[in-house]
Amino acid sequence: MKILVALKQVPHQDARLDINGDGTWIKEDGIKFEINSYDTYALEEALRIKDASDDAEVVVASIGPDRVTQALRTALGMGADRAVHVNDDAMAGSDALGIAKTLAAIAKEESPDLVLTGLMADDDNASAVPPMVAELMGVPSATGVLKAEFDGGNVRVERELEGGALEVVDLPTPALLAVQSGLNQVRYASLKGIMAAKKKPIGVKTAADLGVADAVGSGGAKVKIDKIYQPVKGEGAEILSGSTDEVVASLVNKIKELGLL
Amino acid sequence: MSILIVTEIQKGAIREASHELVTFAQKIGSDVSSLVIGSGVGDLASAFAAQGGGKTYVADDASLENYTVDGYSAAIQAAVAASGATTILVSNTPTGWDVAPRVAAALDAGFVSDVFAFEDGHFVRRVFNGKLDAQVSTSGGTTVVTVQPGAVAPFEGTSDGSTEALAVDTSGARARFVEVKVAEAKGVDLSKAEIIVSGGRGVGDPEKFTEVIQPLADALGGAMGASRPVVDAGWLPHEYQVGSSGQIVAPKLYVACGISGAIQHLVGMKGSNFIVAINKDADAPIFEVAQVGVVGDLFEVVPALTAAISAAKG
Repeated sequence: MKILVALKQVPHQDARLDINGDGTWIKEDGIKFEINSYDTYALEEALRIKDASDDAEVVVASIGPDRVTQALRTALGMGADRAVHVNDDAMAGSDALGIAKTLAAIAKEESPDLVLTGLMADDDNASAVPPMVAELMGVPSATGVLKAEFDGGNVRVERELEGGALEVVDLPTPALLAVQSGLNQVRYASLKGIMAAKKKPIGVKTAADLGVADAVGSGGAKVKIDKIYQPVKGEGAEILSGSTDEVVASLVNKIKELGLL
Repeated sequence: MSILIVTEIQKGAIREASHELVTFAQKIGSDVSSLVIGSGVGDLASAFAAQGGGKTYVADDASLENYTVDGYSAAIQAAVAASGATTILVSNTPTGWDVAPRVAAALDAGFVSDVFAFEDGHFVRRVFNGKLDAQVSTSGGTTVVTVQPGAVAPFEGTSDGSTEALAVDTSGARARFVEVKVAEAKGVDLSKAEIIVSGGRGVGDPEKFTEVIQPLADALGGAMGASRPVVDAGWLPHEYQVGSSGQIVAPKLYVACGISGAIQHLVGMKGSNFIVAINKDADAPIFEVAQVGVVGDLFEVVPALTAAISAAKG
């Protein structure tokens, strides 16, 4: 069987967020990047299915500039077999549908049994692309997956609902799952894995190769970010200042005033 | 701009978030129609039509009794075709984020998710886990928009409206609903705690929860809680999770230690009577909802606070 894992490389969770010159995104120079946390759970799940199977291949795919190669090598080091990198300036400014059409085109070439990806990205928090890919592929999907049991031509999933409830759904494969964080415990790449990753193939594609040139980039986008900015802060918290002892004394007083001491 | 509101039924009633969509629709346009999906939902649809729903399409079929992505996607697309709507509003709930993007792709439409405001012709949403806001514009044409629950007040007025039966072909459905597992009763019922001390990713590792966070909770006579990343990492079991997919709490005192304040967590605790936040990042969104904040190292402040509380109690 073949599992396709779509990964996004995003600014590191603790990266400094400075707004760029035209105010449309953050400055990317000089910050660290990492694989989107939600996608790491998807990759781990794919690797677990592979570990439990005699004959499974895990292909990772990602879209972005040269720096994305690092994320793909990390995924290969963890155990993925092969990578596809869409590295094309024409992709800049794509909206979610443009990204989805690109990934769907890769899926069409790969014909996977399962597509796994994270529910949302840590940068745009959009949770848009995965179900779109499934719709374009003409396969069923489930989002917020916290458990997946793959059994021949069917995958039974548990989807996270509000308040800790779980919805159990059966999907015939091929199917796409957008996984929730906490689905599993993500492995680290072993040294042996990292060394082996250097020899694993990364196929590079352009938008034109995939037949999506008209749908991607700012030219193809139907949605764009006009401005990002620090939220206008309301009054917010009274920030206590002073030494630790002074701050603690203030807090003790406030807790006393609440009648809780 | 013609708008289609997609409602959602929860516990036998149209949920509050759907009434919020009526308010949101009124901010962006005036030609409103709605969609109610389910089995035996005619009365709910009639009521919603008179509560700002406008022309309310009713997709009523046994195959739609439980949510399935294929069934709801078919119903929404049928309602779009029947109404001619060009803006489709869906609440950003587990149902909304499951089906709305599929509908957008099927309609080759623009898609904007989790918006909380509409300003100067722009939808506004949060990025980077709540640290920054983004103004988004769409190119015209059909757009699917998901709206953050609680972002606007539910519409509480009455209106003229009507219902119309909508035929939906669900024969092509592939996904099959099996069951909903309700969350088990928690060992720790945080919803009843008067004082909660919660730790987030900033606490760093599970041992620090035992060494630093639990002692403060104990000194105050309260319960310990955690944000989602802590549970995802396996440091604490799910029963400690405060947030939209964990427990919703409203204690007299909530102390948030090393928690940045992502929206899913805020939803779980912003109803607290008094919130103290301790975080080394002055820009952390948690300081927006807290009454009192300390920008500092929780490993210095929390043990000192624990000692001072214990001393004060004698």
